[in-house]
Amino acid sequence: MIFTMAWRNIWRNKMRSLVIMFSITVGLFAGIDILALYRGMINARIRTVIDAEVGHLQIHDARFTQDYDPKFIVSNGPEALYAIRKLPAVKAAAARSVSFGMLATATGSSGVQINGILLEQENELSQLDKKITEGNLLNNARKNEVLIGKKLAKKMKLKCRSKLVLTFTDTTGGIVSGAFRVAGIYQSANAPLDERNVYIRMVDMNSLLNIGASFHEIAVLLKKDDALPSTQRSLEQLLPRYKIENWKEISPETDLLVKTTNQLSFILMAIIMLALAFGIINTMLMAILERTREIGMMVALGTTKIKIFLMVLLETTFLTLAGAPLGILIGWMLTEYYAKHGLDLSGMGREMMSSFGYSTTIYPEFPSDKFVGVLLIVFATAIVSSLLPAKKALQLQPVQALRR
Amino acid sequence: MYMNTVIDAHNISKVYNPKTIPVYAINQVHLHLERGEFTAVVGPSGSGKTTLLNMIGGLDKPQQGNIINNDVDITKLSSNELINFRLKHIGFVFQSFNLIPVLTAKENIEFIMQLQNTRKEIRERRVEKLLKEIGLEDKRNVRPSKLSGGQQQRVAVARALASKPQFVLADEPTANLDSTSAANLLDLMARLNKEEDITFLFSTHDQRVIERARRVITLVDGKVASDTSPISTERAQTLQT
Repeated sequence: MIFTMAWRNIWRNKMRSLVIMFSITVGLFAGIDILALYRGMINARIRTVIDAEVGHLQIHDARFTQDYDPKFIVSNGPEALYAIRKLPAVKAAAARSVSFGMLATATGSSGVQINGILLEQENELSQLDKKITEGNLLNNARKNEVLIGKKLAKKMKLKCRSKLVLTFTDTTGGIVSGAFRVAGIYQSANAPLDERNVYIRMVDMNSLLNIGASFHEIAVLLKKDDALPSTQRSLEQLLPRYKIENWKEISPETDLLVKTTNQLSFILMAIIMLALAFGIINTMLMAILERTREIGMMVALGTTKIKIFLMVLLETTFLTLAGAPLGILIGWMLTEYYAKHGLDLSGMGREMMSSFGYSTTIYPEFPSDKFVGVLLIVFATAIVSSLLPAKKALQLQPVQALRR
Repeated sequence: MYMNTVIDAHNISKVYNPKTIPVYAINQVHLHLERGEFTAVVGPSGSGKTTLLNMIGGLDKPQQGNIINNDVDITKLSSNELINFRLKHIGFVFQSFNLIPVLTAKENIEFIMQLQNTRKEIRERRVEKLLKEIGLEDKRNVRPSKLSGGQQQRVAVARALASKPQFVLADEPTANLDSTSAANLLDLMARLNKEEDITFLFSTHDQRVIERARRVITLVDGKVASDTSPISTERAQTLQT
């Protein structure tokens, strides 16, 4: 009977109950979709970091990472690269010669990281060929060509076939320079990265550095993300003399971003639930206030406090849970739709998104097991929200309540 | 019929504002009710009728005196024990009906028995009997808002009697009813009093109720001014007819 009464009570003021149910529906689907969007953005950022920037793992001489002195090459690099490529978990591995120097034109200069690459390996690892927006990829047959990022090209007013000079230190500490011609302009999802990275053929770079066929870095891309810890352990055993870092160690700002976003998601959900809880509490307090006499009469007739509490609790729960399934359903449907088709945020500004390292097309993601968590949070909100109205109801003295 | 004590109130008093300007709602009242009585408490407004009924019904506590029911002093019970006591022993009929608006007539009558965890078959039988008694069999699935005042008060009486309480406290039961409805309600209560041997104690201003009562207690300023107890059986039968 208490169950029936609780259910019917929420429909006594249909408009009021529908408004609160609607707000729960909107709050939930908005919350789920915002969290899914955040998660999608973070996943896209991680994918960019892994697939197009640093790979899953990087191998260096430990001394090289201290001040990037080009004399600290990966000793026995070609053998190490061969051994790494043989590992079953490895999808691709690319060698890079790296130096930091200056890009100069007739009108200005800019500090850059110069990457000497082997084209096939780099295309396999970071899909450099897919990022070319103007001009061409480097040509193995052409000497002293360079690929520059779009942002750097804009900043330095460079176009395809423009001339520039790259200056950096060699292994002896001497300054070396080379004149290069822009073969192509690339654009990745990370504009700051585009501004400071230029790519030349490894052979051109190594001849200036005078390091022969050696290199400074091996970037490794794995077939599966979850193979990272085990592969890192295997490589540490296989190549004990090298420093082996995963993407979280190489790009700690991305790892921090993931952790911060996770915390932000909890805070956002808590804020939504808190806002909903106030709405529910307000509605229930009004309902209790309107029914003071009726509740007093029920107590007078012999309804125990537990049953009064149960009635208020059930009413609050029904009110909350009635709007929840629709909110979760809409949230799930929208997430699924955009997870397949992608949400194009280019209207918000491609450059702005890119300047933060995000792609403009986001694929929202909300794991299905999290929906159970959302339901539990909603249920907990209902329970907490019922406490104050229930306390008010229990405090009613039948004699005073009946006088009203 | 009148040999079993239902209520024994000794020297009960209820004072409002005891520390500032004391107002005696009930002042040293003694009251003894036997099983099967059909008694009216009368008096002007503010004389303490409702307060007396509330205290006898365990809704309010006197500051002084005891109220004994079934060898239990209900003034010593905790609020939870009082709820249980009311559920087991007392039926209430209120002036403004006080039916639960979201329940149908049948469910309202059944409500107390549900609280008492009475078995479904017994509940069903009892509700059907009472619906027949109050003449609202065809309104069993109708909610209170669709019933007239008289019909609602009949449902309230049926609800009060559903669990066969020892006594029914009715606070101004006819106050909001027209003459015909009031007469029908009084007929109903008198018949149930006779058939089910349930004690009725009314507070009322209504002369129609006073005329039908077999005992009339008059309260003035919280004190018993007169007690015409008990009236003759012949007069009672005459009044009932």
